[in-house]
Amino acid sequence: MTAGDARPRWIFRVGLVGACLSVLALVLAGAPRAASAETRGYVISMVHTATYANTDTCPRGYNGGLADLKVRRLVRRGFSEEEAIAILANGGVDRDGNRVEIAELPELNGVEVNPGNVPVLVSDPQVHTAHGRFAYGFNLNGEVEPDAFENPDSGERGVDNGMWRALGCFEVYQVRRPVRPYNEDIAWDTALDAMPAWLMSITGDDLDRDGAVTVAFDRALNVAMRDARGGVLSAATYVVDPDPRSHSVFRGRIESRVLTIEPGDFSIQGESQFYAILRFTGTRLRLELAEDGSAAGIIGGYQPWRDYFHYLAIRGEENAQVDLAGVYYAMRRLADGAPDPRNGENTAISAAYFLEAVPAFHATLSGEVVADAVGPGPLLSGPAVSENVTLDPE
Amino acid sequence: MDGRMHMPATRALRRSRFCAGPCRGLPAALLAGLILGASAVAGAAGEMTFLRLTPAQYQRAVHEIFGPSIQVDEGTTVLGVRDRGLLALGARRSTLSAAEIERFEALAQQVAAQVTDPSRRATLIGCRPEADDAPDDACAARFVTRAGRLLFRRPLTGDEIDLYVAVARTAAETLDDYYGGLRAALAGMLVAPEFLFRVERSEPDPADPGTLRLDAWSRASRLSFFLWDSAPDGLLLDAAESGELLTPDGLDAQVERLLASPRVEQGLRAFFSDMLQFDRFATLSIDASLFPRFTKNVEDDAREQTLRTVVDHLLHRDRDYRDLFVSRDTFLTPPLAAIYGVPLPRSQELGGAVPWVPYRFPEGDSHVGLLAQVSFLALHSHPGRSSPTLRGQAVQEIFLCRRVPPPPPDVDFSLLQDTYNPDFRTTRDRLREHRENPACASCHNLTDPIGLTLEVFDAAGGYRTTENGAPIDTSGELNGRTYEGPPGLAAALRDEPRATSCFVERAFSYGAARLPTDDERAWLADVQAELLDGGVKWRELMRRIARNPDFYTVVRDAG
Repeated sequence: MTAGDARPRWIFRVGLVGACLSVLALVLAGAPRAASAETRGYVISMVHTATYANTDTCPRGYNGGLADLKVRRLVRRGFSEEEAIAILANGGVDRDGNRVEIAELPELNGVEVNPGNVPVLVSDPQVHTAHGRFAYGFNLNGEVEPDAFENPDSGERGVDNGMWRALGCFEVYQVRRPVRPYNEDIAWDTALDAMPAWLMSITGDDLDRDGAVTVAFDRALNVAMRDARGGVLSAATYVVDPDPRSHSVFRGRIESRVLTIEPGDFSIQGESQFYAILRFTGTRLRLELAEDGSAAGIIGGYQPWRDYFHYLAIRGEENAQVDLAGVYYAMRRLADGAPDPRNGENTAISAAYFLEAVPAFHATLSGEVVADAVGPGPLLSGPAVSENVTLDPE
Repeated sequence: MDGRMHMPATRALRRSRFCAGPCRGLPAALLAGLILGASAVAGAAGEMTFLRLTPAQYQRAVHEIFGPSIQVDEGTTVLGVRDRGLLALGARRSTLSAAEIERFEALAQQVAAQVTDPSRRATLIGCRPEADDAPDDACAARFVTRAGRLLFRRPLTGDEIDLYVAVARTAAETLDDYYGGLRAALAGMLVAPEFLFRVERSEPDPADPGTLRLDAWSRASRLSFFLWDSAPDGLLLDAAESGELLTPDGLDAQVERLLASPRVEQGLRAFFSDMLQFDRFATLSIDASLFPRFTKNVEDDAREQTLRTVVDHLLHRDRDYRDLFVSRDTFLTPPLAAIYGVPLPRSQELGGAVPWVPYRFPEGDSHVGLLAQVSFLALHSHPGRSSPTLRGQAVQEIFLCRRVPPPPPDVDFSLLQDTYNPDFRTTRDRLREHRENPACASCHNLTDPIGLTLEVFDAAGGYRTTENGAPIDTSGELNGRTYEGPPGLAAALRDEPRATSCFVERAFSYGAARLPTDDERAWLADVQAELLDGGVKWRELMRRIARNPDFYTVVRDAG
């Protein structure tokens, strides 16, 4: 264990809590349900960073896109901005015909390395961060700090979202619903056909009425099934992976068709094309349950910031469309949770993600159906269709 | 293939295709029939009928003669026309257009190239030439004789053998390649009318002077295509050659042999694919924006679901045909289960085989019988909405052999298509005008009381209980019997005598490629009555038809 790596402690804590929750969940799963209880199953059709960009988001400036960060990189090396643009336009060749290395390739022990692997070898480019009034997320610490965000929909104050601060001024994140950050959109779309599907279930006495519920997240053994529009198929059946590492259970409540949970730990394994793992401590959830059986809203909490940085780094700057070193330093600076007791450095960052789910049956390995798909599901779902598409403009 | 090799073979084919080649040896009447499009040609030798092979039969013939590794481009061949409910009846009227002949020629070249490929020569050609770069008439004659008997479903005449050997010789000399010559000869046989069509020849029936019967070879083909949807195998051709097939005992023995073969499944599938009009899947279009669960996989699986259900019910379990309307047993895949809205705990590995899982819909469920399967519901819907009229018409025409006239040209469909009209929220409301208008009622009263019961299934086959928020009324009526819901309709159809008589007549018409005569209808009614006692079993029905000499009688002007 190195001094700069606080993950083992975090993992230990999540592992301990998760193990306890898993045992509890297994007991719950094995216990006979109340005669009146019902469990509705879902498959998660979309997850992406909860962006909210408007003209106020980046008062101190923007980081732009991939081309902009390359220009800045060349300017830092001594080229004028005009020269940098000309070099990029000329395929990386300067006016004298010499090839100019545009990528940031720091050396470690005399060997060029990927800055995504060893970002500390690159000096902090001090990328711009988001400071606007609005952002999605939750008030995770219960305080309303002066610079905390405000939820643009509910008006809730004190929203903690350090992840958005770190990412919000890069062009690829300068979007808001229904537009999704392209780098995450394409990654999820690709991963959806390869990685085991992510499942959610809600158990309660009567899920059409207000009341207490239990919410569980699991990974499936099969990948998500697509519908004819490229979305995620409603009413498909998924076999629940019994692996407790992707099993999280929360106490929750439905009020006026809005599902919320009591804070707890969330962890689900993904696939390297997208998140290798998505996990939070102090997890919050706010999902609207639609008449068609689908669910949509926000999940968030304190996420180990290295998890998200890893997701960007494995894709490289060209696909992630961010300055990797810049994000590394920004996230490290803005991390606001799970302090490492050895050095006090925060290992997690407040974050929020949009989450959408469609009805699905869940079954055990032995074939027992443990959650029902209720409702026809939405006409549009998942990554390949836009929420802007309407069937009837009227 | 370089031009030097290709062109002479093509020229040889062109010569062989019409009259300069093998056709020279065929009766002029046969060619006249093809060119003029006549279904049957009367001549001194009697009646000749041409029945065009279906794409499946073409592919099966190639695979059974030369092996399943031979690739046959399915898109090359096209289905024929449907006549009075069956493609099998339309086959009698099918001819070949110039464009189709070109496609068959290209396909023949592909197949012949594969058969004569070095990797297959040892097993498929049967003899080695004296030299690979020169003609060898003796070896070519052996191949032409053996393959020709299977391709033409009869022995080749001496003239035909000579002609194809001559083609092989000429091409081999031009190409300096014995196998190139053989390829040209085989391609010629594959575009010959005797292969592309089942040519049924007749002869005087010695047991019934004044009437005509199929000759032994044609009888073998009719029997084989009826039960196997495939060309006769070597044993059946042997029985034809020896004359055994023309005797009652010989015919019975072959019928029993064919019925005992696993190939009867492909025959059963072909019959039901034809009867249920599954060729329409090729043009099926369900609007994905309205029915996103209806994926391409669903389309493929829906057809297979019904055929598996039929095969399991009629063949493996030997159950009564009528119970297909009320059976809750079927097979599902994950995409199908999603559209039916039922759980199916079986995953499919990426790129893996589709898992087919036996499934029984529970008692009380609306999914009962063939009418509640996606194949029927989607095939008889509009792309964006269900159609009680189309579904009712399909029940009348497919299962009850009752023709529903087409609508008059001046029908106002505007209300029917206004599916969001707040005053007419359900299709039943919107169709009421048609049922109450005397000009429309005669037909709509035949179709709508059936189809409206199936309105709990949308155009994609998904289950629903409301339409635009209004509850769906599933009451209906069939021939004076009223019922509630799809299970009620299924029971009424199961008990409807016309459903059985229609099935029996369909089976005969499918096999004989013509409608039964009045005398034959009387005989079929007897068969039906006998079957009803022990259950309408498919295998027994096939047996009774296939063993009846009348099945092989030639009827003039049958088309």
